[in-house]
Amino acid sequence: MTDKDAGSRPGRGVIIKVWDAPTRWIHGLIIVLIGLAWWTESHDEMDWHIRIGCALLGVVLFRLAWGVFGGRTARFSSFVRGPRTVLGYAAKLARGGASEDGVGHNPMGGWSVVALLGVMAAEVGVGLFCVDVDGLESGPLADRVSFQVGRMAAHWHTLLFDALLALIALHLCAIAFYAIVRRDNLIGPMLTGRKRLTATSSETVEAQPKSPIMFWLSAAVATGVAIWAGYGFKI
Amino acid sequence: MRFGQTTRGWRTAIFVATASAVVVVASAAAADVASVIQTRQTHYKEIGKATKAIIDQLKSPTPAVPVIQAAAKQIDALAPEVPSWFPAGSGPTAGVKTQAKADIWAKPDEFKRDAAAFADAAHKLDIVAAGGDLSAIRTQAQALGQTCKTCHEAFRQRDD
Repeated sequence: MTDKDAGSRPGRGVIIKVWDAPTRWIHGLIIVLIGLAWWTESHDEMDWHIRIGCALLGVVLFRLAWGVFGGRTARFSSFVRGPRTVLGYAAKLARGGASEDGVGHNPMGGWSVVALLGVMAAEVGVGLFCVDVDGLESGPLADRVSFQVGRMAAHWHTLLFDALLALIALHLCAIAFYAIVRRDNLIGPMLTGRKRLTATSSETVEAQPKSPIMFWLSAAVATGVAIWAGYGFKI
Repeated sequence: MRFGQTTRGWRTAIFVATASAVVVVASAAAADVASVIQTRQTHYKEIGKATKAIIDQLKSPTPAVPVIQAAAKQIDALAPEVPSWFPAGSGPTAGVKTQAKADIWAKPDEFKRDAAAFADAAHKLDIVAAGGDLSAIRTQAQALGQTCKTCHEAFRQRDD
């Protein structure tokens, strides 16, 4: 897509860019890191679990920044919609209404992203304060709280992970629903960034971020915080 | 007729008295088990708190050795008591929520061996802490932690 295409209405068969590269890489990183965090915890590799948690803290921070500075489809302002829009979209889905090629998150999917990111942020945030039952393994900020508070954090860490798993399951079901019922492949565009339109889209296309400076700044801050967390937030 | 009624009355009275006695004794026993388990958990939390205090200091850029020494002394005082916190009947069949596994009573020798290893490591940490050498403390704290894990692996139900 070149700049002169921005603002036009792309038609059937046209291939357009729907997800910018950082959004796709972050999505991939989240999948890998959550898998690793789960595996290391269940195999009692707590040193690695904590390092992975710090990396996830950076990833979530970057994604939140990218929700402001990223390409149009990555921005919260583009996909967090009001209840009327969401209900209208749900009603259209229930009627099996003809698909209009949406670019970016649909009105229901937008809230799914908000929920996933919110629970992930809470999960890594609480994780910083967790203490295990022996008082041996603890998150990078656990030395700021009592054993009792650390144990409470660990309890919430478990509950929030269950909530996260439930949201991920819902996310996967939605992808399967679009693939099977609506013949709409959502995975391909998340891998390649591009989507071939099957109908005329009413969306304008401009998935590319405007400013590379904000990308590097967000990435640097997020990486810095992740590393700092890895050192227990000590200087 | 009258005699029969009296007998029935006595029978009812005896039944009610016996049933009440059973209920009273049973709840007293349950209360006992509950307090045993509660005391046990309180002690373990004291150990966890003391361990965390040591680990927090070891993670700090400027560890406070007196804090480590006090916590090590506390663990050393509690550790030898561990086997006494597990009287028969205070396991998973107690009817009170506990993560103590039945194997504690099914494999008493192994449990006592693990508890002894813990008490031994706790005593060594107390001595090493008194010496004040941080790298020696670090090594012995890790050894102590390993004894927590070994015993919990075998005899404590995992969280969640």
